[in-house]
Amino acid sequence: MVLTPDFESRPLISLQHVWKRYPPETIALRDVSLNIPEGDFMFLVGPSGAGKSTVVRLLIREERPTKGKIFVDGAELGRMKRRQLPYYRRKIGLVFQDFKLLPSLTVYENVAFALRVMGDPGRVIRPKTEDALDTVGLADQRDKYPRELSGGEQQRVAIARALVHAPRVIVADEPTGNLDPATAWEIMQLFLRINARGATVVMATHNREIVDLLRRRVVAIEAGRVVRDDRSGRYHEALAASSVRA
Amino acid sequence: MRLWRHLQFALSSAWQSFWRNAGVSLAAVLSITLILVMAGVNLLVGHAMNDVLQLLRARVSVISITVADGTPLQTVYDFQEQLRADPRVAEVQFLTKDQVLAHFQSDPTNARIVQQIEGNPLSAKLEVRVRDLADVAAVDALARQWRGADPSDPTDYQGDFINRMLALSSWLSWAGLALLAILVVISVVIVMNTIRTAVYHRRQEIEVMKLVGATEWFVRGPFVLEGVLTGVVAAGVALGLLVVSYRPFVERFRTDLFFVPLTYDPKFVGQLAQDLLLGGALLGALGSYIGVRRFVRI
Repeated sequence: MVLTPDFESRPLISLQHVWKRYPPETIALRDVSLNIPEGDFMFLVGPSGAGKSTVVRLLIREERPTKGKIFVDGAELGRMKRRQLPYYRRKIGLVFQDFKLLPSLTVYENVAFALRVMGDPGRVIRPKTEDALDTVGLADQRDKYPRELSGGEQQRVAIARALVHAPRVIVADEPTGNLDPATAWEIMQLFLRINARGATVVMATHNREIVDLLRRRVVAIEAGRVVRDDRSGRYHEALAASSVRA
Repeated sequence: MRLWRHLQFALSSAWQSFWRNAGVSLAAVLSITLILVMAGVNLLVGHAMNDVLQLLRARVSVISITVADGTPLQTVYDFQEQLRADPRVAEVQFLTKDQVLAHFQSDPTNARIVQQIEGNPLSAKLEVRVRDLADVAAVDALARQWRGADPSDPTDYQGDFINRMLALSSWLSWAGLALLAILVVISVVIVMNTIRTAVYHRRQEIEVMKLVGATEWFVRGPFVLEGVLTGVVAAGVALGLLVVSYRPFVERFRTDLFFVPLTYDPKFVGQLAQDLLLGGALLGALGSYIGVRRFVRI
């Protein structure tokens, strides 16, 4: 089952004329506007340094926009106070290229960590963690440490941690960047399943094959501008279009 | 319940971190122990000096007015009444010539002189205890103007000595405070650096905590507790060392410097324990709070 994103009603994530400048002279984003409805699966593509990671950092509110507004689920991120941030981050699940697992914790503990941080009691943590590990197919590896796992397995642990608290949004920054094509494909299947359950997925990626195969929404960024936004796009089309305009 | 679970998490991670960086923790404990021992010695010496000063103050706040021989008794009584009515005066006692002599004779160190004196060459005295040390000079001036006072040696007041003592006691308390302040700053810096090392070792964990939505206090709590643990352990060791050496030190000091009436006060040990443990915990908390602040900002 694939959810059809609802492009008509209020978007879950909305970037409105967002600029990001890093002093003194670097302009990472120029007037970027994007609407991402609930249930969308969106690829963010573009060459290195185009501004993909800046969008990710803005979405997880590691940074604030220099100009413009970003709304997630009705809240404006630029106005969010520091003490509200943890509660905002609990609404999103994050997956990174380098997994960011804690080496001293087991697979189970790594996934449960996201819930422990929220102060959930053990009786809540256990079934949720087991469920998340089931989803990513690692229930039988729960007592292993990250160093005992392959790259693909480590990324699956990271995904389990990102979805254990049932976030409405999953933000992934190059999640297949360190993986071989077969493993990358497995990981993508996982993201598709999570999306099918209702989570909105925003993924910055360089992986052309996967973007081309999945035919999902593709937003191409180049030199800080959105140069293409296709509802069912391809990686190279997106880049071709941008080069024509440039 | 949530708070209790957070506290449990913070306690267990503080404990783990303390032992994971055992070398650094031990160095911090030893440094702070040393500082707290110095602080403790400072407190003990301050306490003992305070006792000594109290005693000296009591002594110098009494002036003895020599009554000239031949002064009519009524004149003495009148002046005694005048002094009693003075709000600055706590107590006045009249000692007759006989009483002064008896007192003189009762002191065994005067035995040889007593054998040689004939009659009673000593004068009658008015012993005046002044409430406040600062008023002694004024009361002394009043006594010197009294016509019954022996003009050759009206009183035994030594203004210079009192002024010096007052200066010394205020200097000592300032010096003690300054030393304490320096020790506080040093130990806060030590704890700060210890905790920074712990933070550095765990920066990855902190980053992940922040990304999955940990509050600042959730991240900070374990480090602050680790600092408190470091401070309390150091205070315990310092207290042990001080308690063991307090009594022998006082006894040694009393033998060597018999003229300083230093005393061993077991009651003060309880006060010292409270001060050191509380001080250690606060120093640890403050040092780690500052040490971790910059790194846990979300």
